[in-house]
Amino acid sequence: MDSFLSAFFSGTAQGAIYALVSLGLVLVWRGAGVVNFAQMGQAMFTTYIASQLIQNNYSYWSAFVIALVSGAILGAIVDLGLMRPLMSRKNSQLLNSQSMRTTIPVIASLGILGVLKALAGILWEGEERGFPSPVPANAVTIGSTNLAITSFDLFVIGVVFLALVLTTIFFTKTGMGLAMRASALNPEVTRLSGIRVGSVRTLGWVISGTASSLAGLLVTPKTNLSPNTLDLLLIIGFTAAVVGGLTSLTGSVLGGFIVGYVIAFVNVYSAPENVFIAILVFLLLALFFRPQGILGSKEVRRV
Amino acid sequence: MQFGPYNQSQLANIATLLIAVLSITLLTGASGQISLGQGAIMAVGGYSSALFVTRLGISMWLAFVLAIVASALFGLILGLAAARLSGPYLAGTTLVMALAIPSIAVRFESFFSGDIGLSVDYGYPPNWLTNLIGEISIEEWSLYVVLPFAALALFAVLNLSNSRSGRTWRAVRDNEVSAALAGINIARTKVIAFVCASALAGLAGALYGFRGLVAPSVYPTDLSLTLLTAAVIGGLRSIGGAIFGTFVIVFLPDLIERLTKNLAIPETISNYLPALIIGVLLLLTVILNPKGSAGALEHIRHHRKQGRH
Repeated sequence: MDSFLSAFFSGTAQGAIYALVSLGLVLVWRGAGVVNFAQMGQAMFTTYIASQLIQNNYSYWSAFVIALVSGAILGAIVDLGLMRPLMSRKNSQLLNSQSMRTTIPVIASLGILGVLKALAGILWEGEERGFPSPVPANAVTIGSTNLAITSFDLFVIGVVFLALVLTTIFFTKTGMGLAMRASALNPEVTRLSGIRVGSVRTLGWVISGTASSLAGLLVTPKTNLSPNTLDLLLIIGFTAAVVGGLTSLTGSVLGGFIVGYVIAFVNVYSAPENVFIAILVFLLLALFFRPQGILGSKEVRRV
Repeated sequence: MQFGPYNQSQLANIATLLIAVLSITLLTGASGQISLGQGAIMAVGGYSSALFVTRLGISMWLAFVLAIVASALFGLILGLAAARLSGPYLAGTTLVMALAIPSIAVRFESFFSGDIGLSVDYGYPPNWLTNLIGEISIEEWSLYVVLPFAALALFAVLNLSNSRSGRTWRAVRDNEVSAALAGINIARTKVIAFVCASALAGLAGALYGFRGLVAPSVYPTDLSLTLLTAAVIGGLRSIGGAIFGTFVIVFLPDLIERLTKNLAIPETISNYLPALIIGVLLLLTVILNPKGSAGALEHIRHHRKQGRH
C-alpha cells in the first residue's frame, strides 16, 4: 500500500510537469502545424538563466518570474525569426511537397535545439549543476505519520494546478483565447472574421514557451540541470501529447498525467532502467490502438 | 599533407557515415518519411553483427550481410508502424526509439553486455591481401573493408532513385492522394522505403561498430541528429549532397579546432563551437536554401545556362 501511494503521488507530481510540456507541444501544433522539438531546449536555456540569476543573489521568485518571461520571449523569437519566414516560402519547390511541409519545420526546430544546447554549453560550461527549489523535499507529516508525498511534490502540483486554471480561464473566458481556438480550428474563416491569425499564432508560441519554461523550473530540482537533462522530458511530453490526441488541450493535460502514472508505477513496481522501454512501448500501443488519442478528433485528409 | 593512418581512418569513417546519410537521402529525400532514429537502426546492425561474430564465431563478412538482413527486418516492423504515421508523429516516435533502443542493451545486460559493450574489430588483413600488396596497417585495412560497401551503397541508391520504385516513392512523397489515385499502394511503398533505408543504416552501423566497439555510447541520440544534419546541409534530395554533407560533419570539427588552436579561446567555448556552427549551418540551410548545397549548385548552374542564351 505504501509503495502504491508513493507511486501515485510521485506520478501526480511528475504527471503535472509532463502535462505542461504536453500542453506546450499541443498549443504550437494546433496553432502552427509544427511539433517543436526545441521546446525543452528553450526551457533548458531559461532554467539556466534562472540558475545564473540565483547565483548572482537574486531571490528564487524573481529568478522564477524572469525565467518565465524569457520563455515567452524565446517562444516569440522562434516563431517570428524562424518559423514564420520558413512557412511563408510558398514558392520553394521543397515546401510544395506535402510531406516536406511537415518535415522542414521539424528539422528547423532540431537546429534550434542544437544551437541552444551549444550556447548553453558555452555560456554555462555545460557541467551538470543543481537547481534550487523554494520548498524542502521532506515528506509531509500529519501528526506523527509520514505521508507518501513530499512538500516539494505538493508545491509542484499546486503551481501546475494554478497554471492550468489560468490557461483554462484564458481559453474559455477571454476574446484572445477564443480567437486562438478559432484559428486552430479554421485559420481561413478566422482571418475573414477580422482576427490577425499571424499574431494569434505567435501568442501560441509565447504561451508554449512560458509553459515549458515553468516545466523546466519545476523538474530540475530533482533532475539537476545540464544542456541535455530536459531531452527526456521532451519525449515524455511528446508521448503524453500523442496519448491525448495532439489536437486537444484537455487531452494533452490528461495524457501528461496518464504518462506520469505509467512511469511512476514502472519505476516503483519494476525497475528505473525499464522506463525508456516502457515509454516506447506505451507510445507504440497508443499509436496502434488509438492514433487519434483519447480526446483527439480523427484526421481528415485535405487535398 | 601526407595521407597517413589518421587520414585513412578518417576516410573510412566518412565512407561508413556516408552509407548512413544515404539511408536518410533515401528515406526522407526520396520517400518523404522523416527519421530521427537512424542511429538506433545503426545500433541494431552493429549489435547483430557483433553478436554473430562474438557468440557464433562466424566470419566478419557474413556478419555484415546478416546485419543488413536483421536491420531490414527491424525496418519492416518499424515501417509497418510508420506507414500509419505522418510527419511529426513519425519524427517523435523515431526519436523515442533513438533513446530507447540503446537502453535495451543496458536492460538486458547479460546478453548485450550493457554499457561496456561488445568489442569487435576489423581484425588483421588476410594473408592473400598482404601477399598481394605487402604489409598494410590496420587503418588501411579498415579503409579497404569499408570502401567497397560504400561504393555498393552509392550504386544501389543511384539505381533505386532512377528506377520505377524511386519515381513511385517521389509521387507518394509529393502528394499521397494523387499517388493513390494513380494506382500506387501508398502503405506498401512507404514500408519498402523504410526497409531499404534500414538495411543501409544497419550496414553502416555494423561497419561503424567494427572500428572497435559496439556499445550504447557508440550510437547516441546525437548520432541520429548528426546524420540528419549532414543530409540536410548537403541537400536531402541529392546523392552528391549526401557526400558533401558527410564531409562537412566529419571535417568541420577538425577544421574549427585547427583554426582556433592558435587563438586563445577557452576550452568551454572550443568544446561547443563545432556544435554551435553546425547548428547555425543547419538553420541557415533550412531558412535560406532548403534544398541544401546540392540545390544551390543546381540553381547556379541553371542561371548560368539561362544567361548564355
